Amino acid sequence: MTDGSDRVAVTLEEWPDDADSEEGVVVNWFVREGAAVEASASLCEVQIEKVSLDVYAPVDGTLVEVVKAEDDEFVRGDTLGWLAP
Amino acid sequence: MSKQSQRVERDLTMSRGMVEAIAHEMRENDEVFYMGEDVADYGGIFDSTQGLLDEFGYDRIMDVPISETAYLGAAVGAAQEGMRPIAELMFVDFFGVAMDQIYNQMAKNTYMSGGNVSVPMVLTAAVGGTYNDAAQHSQTLYGTFAHVPGIKVVVPSTAYDAKGLMHNAIRDDDPVLYMFHKRLMGIGWMPAPDGPKTPVPEEDYTIPFGSADVKREGEDVTIVTLGLHVHRALEAAEQLADDGVDAEVVDLRSLVPLDTDTIVGSVEKTGRLVVVDEDYRSFGVTGEIVATVADESLAALDAVERVAVPDVPIPYARPLEQEVIPDVDDIAAAVERTQ
Repeated sequence: MTDGSDRVAVTLEEWPDDADSEEGVVVNWFVREGAAVEASASLCEVQIEKVSLDVYAPVDGTLVEVVKAEDDEFVRGDTLGWLAP
Repeated sequence: MSKQSQRVERDLTMSRGMVEAIAHEMRENDEVFYMGEDVADYGGIFDSTQGLLDEFGYDRIMDVPISETAYLGAAVGAAQEGMRPIAELMFVDFFGVAMDQIYNQMAKNTYMSGGNVSVPMVLTAAVGGTYNDAAQHSQTLYGTFAHVPGIKVVVPSTAYDAKGLMHNAIRDDDPVLYMFHKRLMGIGWMPAPDGPKTPVPEEDYTIPFGSADVKREGEDVTIVTLGLHVHRALEAAEQLADDGVDAEVVDLRSLVPLDTDTIVGSVEKTGRLVVVDEDYRSFGVTGEIVATVADESLAALDAVERVAVPDVPIPYARPLEQEVIPDVDDIAAAVERTQ
């Protein structure tokens, strides 16, 4: 997914099947804005119904923006941050 | 940007720093394994083994029945036979049921055998309060374990230190008690302060025991502490800086061995000593540090303060627990009294 520029959205790829809730919370970011990451590196940890899940980098790139900061709530499909390949 | 020129930068939580070291050592050495209560499927109730089961399976990440005597004894035996077990005491408070295995077997078998066996095991344990889990699930008990000869005692305060100290613990040929504070682990339901999440190199590295770390340099007072209270002391130091008091914060990182040189060197510079501990006040870390400095350099001591838990069980009620566990203001007030 892109927003028209070259940026790639960071999202939780698979919502857990057994979750009733459509909401989660961001627990930890492991990468700061401006840092370079490789595809499939763990970018952040989220919790849905108290279960922790990692969100991975979809591509090699630089994390240019954190949209949902630690302790922020998000809903299924939300963009958590943006990567610039 | 080419892949070669990209520097991979990441911050890890303390739990992930610990787990990364354990996973590395398990890949390098087949004799390393982990056992404890809820360490396999659950990943450790404080995330101490998160993700390890997937890579290493049930033979090396073992859930055990609720008998600390049995599995800590098994760890001692496996270590004596040449394996490198890591055994987790879910809460350090539960040590009592396995005190013989810890205090008499793990700590003393090398001595009792005249050096014919070594016990290269790591005993991990979750410590600390601040989340209203009451008197039997909130202690640190640092002094209890640093007191007995034969056990090295390690207390990390950051992800960087947690990884390096864990590598060192697993490679050590003697028993090491690795005490991790729950509040520092970075768990979703128990948010950590900002400090423990740090950049952590992907490669392995060791931090030698007995090397305290000066987490903040200062000229006016030495604050000696460990674990969670490193971060509270650093916050107090920032407040004090606004009042013109420049505090040095020494993170012990290990109690046994104790880095006496760093502590004494700092007090000789500042002349004032504040020791901060989340353990009980009497017969513990605060008294030991003050006595050590008095032994080594009595003339350097212009003022001394101890900040610790008064000699009462940790209360369940939130306001009462907050009252007895030293907070930032308690540390700042103690420093002010030395000035």
